[in-house]
Amino acid sequence: MPNDVLSTQAEVTWCPGCGNFGILNAFKKSIHKLEDRKVLRNNIVLSSGIGCHGKIFDYLRMNGLYSLHGRSMATVQGMKLGNPELKVITFAGDGDAYGEGLEHMIFAAKRNADITVIVHNNGVYALTVGQYSPTSRKGFKGPSTPNGSIEEPLNPLSLLLEAGASFVARGFAGKIDHLSDLIVEAVLHEGFSVIDVLQPSVVFNNTYKLYNELTEIIPKPAETLEEAIKLSKDFKNHLPIGIFYKVKKPVFHKELFGEWNPVKKHMMREDRMQQIASYLSNQMRE
Amino acid sequence: MNNDVFTFLIGGKAGQGTKKAGLVVANFFVGLNRYVFQMNDYPSLIRGGHNFSIVSTSTKKIYSHYMKADLLVVLDQRSYDTHKDNVAENGLVVFNADKVKGNGIGVPITSEAKKYENPDLLEGVAGIAILAAALNVDKKTLDNIIRTEYRRNIEDNLRFAQAIYNATIYKIPHKFVLKQGTAKQISLSGSEAIALGAVAAGLDIYFSYPMTPSTQVLHFLATYGKKMGVVVVHPENELAVANMAIGAAFTGARVMVGTSGGGFCLMQEAFSLAGMVEAPVLFFLGQRPGPSTGVPTYTEQGDLRFALTSGQGEFPRIVASPGSIEEAFRLTSELLSLVWRFQTPGILLSEKHLAESSMSVNFELEKTSWAEPIMHENGLYARYKNTVDGISPLLFPPSDELIKWNSYEHDELGITTEEPEKLLNMHDKRRKKLQSLISYLKNFTTVNTFGTKGPVVFTFGSTTMSVLEAIDYGKLEMTVVQPVYLEPFPIWDLEKFRGKKAIVVEQNSSGQLASLLKEKVGVNVQSMILKYDGRPFDPQVLAKQLKEVVTVA
Repeated sequence: MPNDVLSTQAEVTWCPGCGNFGILNAFKKSIHKLEDRKVLRNNIVLSSGIGCHGKIFDYLRMNGLYSLHGRSMATVQGMKLGNPELKVITFAGDGDAYGEGLEHMIFAAKRNADITVIVHNNGVYALTVGQYSPTSRKGFKGPSTPNGSIEEPLNPLSLLLEAGASFVARGFAGKIDHLSDLIVEAVLHEGFSVIDVLQPSVVFNNTYKLYNELTEIIPKPAETLEEAIKLSKDFKNHLPIGIFYKVKKPVFHKELFGEWNPVKKHMMREDRMQQIASYLSNQMRE
Repeated sequence: MNNDVFTFLIGGKAGQGTKKAGLVVANFFVGLNRYVFQMNDYPSLIRGGHNFSIVSTSTKKIYSHYMKADLLVVLDQRSYDTHKDNVAENGLVVFNADKVKGNGIGVPITSEAKKYENPDLLEGVAGIAILAAALNVDKKTLDNIIRTEYRRNIEDNLRFAQAIYNATIYKIPHKFVLKQGTAKQISLSGSEAIALGAVAAGLDIYFSYPMTPSTQVLHFLATYGKKMGVVVVHPENELAVANMAIGAAFTGARVMVGTSGGGFCLMQEAFSLAGMVEAPVLFFLGQRPGPSTGVPTYTEQGDLRFALTSGQGEFPRIVASPGSIEEAFRLTSELLSLVWRFQTPGILLSEKHLAESSMSVNFELEKTSWAEPIMHENGLYARYKNTVDGISPLLFPPSDELIKWNSYEHDELGITTEEPEKLLNMHDKRRKKLQSLISYLKNFTTVNTFGTKGPVVFTFGSTTMSVLEAIDYGKLEMTVVQPVYLEPFPIWDLEKFRGKKAIVVEQNSSGQLASLLKEKVGVNVQSMILKYDGRPFDPQVLAKQLKEVVTVA
């Protein structure tokens, strides 16, 4: 592990060759690229869910909150509401984003919360030793489905597009430069942005060869939502990666409270006392 | 009836404005400088059913409604049947002659209302006109009341009220006389008190998913919060509520969440997270009868033990329950301030009976607390620095220092760890914080004591109001002890009751406070008066029960 400014002293415990390394390296690159574009590192706060992906939180010398399984999308929405000047990013596993915390994804997309979600989608529950995940293919054999998963996988991108996501992308942990550009674009996007990252798990679901063969960079986002949805359902002989859809929409916190900033504009005690006194006197009937 | 207590009860179907009528009547009594207590009883439905609102008033402080009405106004048969046997001596029953067969004074309320648009909504207004007639209030005063209180369809309301007044006044056999009081106190609900208490302490964001009986705080802050510096967020579910709140606290925002039992179950993991990451979050837990969905719009104190043991794992938490609406105001601010000082979750434990009842209050604004973090000043920052008192100073982003809050067990920097000595270090740090919290609380009013003589009666939360009123009504000589703080349990203030005989009054079926008093203090609980039918105590009935247990003991 290079001892760069973005690293901590934490021991890296991912399996050698894990797709998470690709995501970590891409993320670090994007932080430097973002700094070139005037997004200061200190102004970014992170969160993560629980699982192999979540360990990235310990490895990054950046501020944030290591959240619960499935809840980090709610955590970062809270951070954004507390101080809207912060850029908020959460890492999540496919179990976090598409299983345990799917409701937060759908609603964050629906309300266009200004957050970025990077989903480490390896199609397996790796840290709990290999059970099927929401995106595992039908027939996937894991310790809880020894005869193969009987469920069809979820298509997260079409689901989120339908829910109203204003920035939807797919990346591949094996294409680090491409992925880091996606992260930069996602963070700069004002509104809900999600990057579904195809991430091989070397032990439980080694998809390097498959993804290297199938991934194909799309030149530009789809023009319309319908086209983007169509693209998200296109698995025929290839796997498109890149920005599927990007649209400008009003963001949740601004719709909620305009230019207010709860932390920075924190109303002081005297003003509050005045407001309370005025409310109380309005209740008095003569 | 006790002293000069006068009770007005109006019953009807949901959607007829009985609660609003109760509110208007309470405000009228307030205008006479009298003290009031208003209790609203309503089932979980939008139209139909049986709703009633009771307003009891006195020239001295009153802590409960009385079930026996001096003036009973019933808009339908069901209301008549339910309340007809609960009329005070010399009380009056005025019923809607179009809908009710019964004894008393019949007034054709529905046929009069039908002359206007939205006749159903008008019917509640009849209650005010009837009260005005029964008190011999002049027509001009009645007009003024209607004009102030009903802003929509003023003309219809005025004409309807006058018609009912005219149809009633000559039928009233004796007019009630209500003395002017000296109170000059407004009537506010527990929900208003809780919301305003949080505002006073510096609340920035209130997160909540609607669930009775916490919903009125959500509605209040959604309406008035903006002017008071409060943002209100109502997200997809309670999981989002609690986790968003923790995320916002990470940035330095003073947050509170509101819910009831079922919603709080969904927040358990986040509650424990707040304990682990040391997030200052105040949870308002409004109790209703459980288990499960239970009885949504009624009252109970069945979640005491649940509150005390919320969340997996061991971590300090602060639980306190207000014994009056005035106390709810002050205590909410105190709790928000405490969770910030000690960076740990707190629970404001209350009930439907407090949250949705109203009473005369005098809020002492200067006695509220202000939530202020202990901030890191200089040098290398360690989020979980093991300090002397276990409290690690805070720092908020953006910052050049590393700020890591971590749900996994962590080292002082906030990096995940599994090393045994680091586990010990953090456990010990959190234990130290608990000890610091206990020392700090010793400077606070953690137990209220009312009276000095007679048998000792323990109670908590809104039941305190019932007990105080029952003692006053029954002219009983008793010492009422109300632990305000329930975790840490104020053993230092209660030790003097070790081995002492006591009566415990609470609204649950197992005697949770009683068991706590036995376990923590060794109180010799002689008898328990438990009520768990969803309804708050009636002071007259409770006074009788208290007399009985004293005689037996």
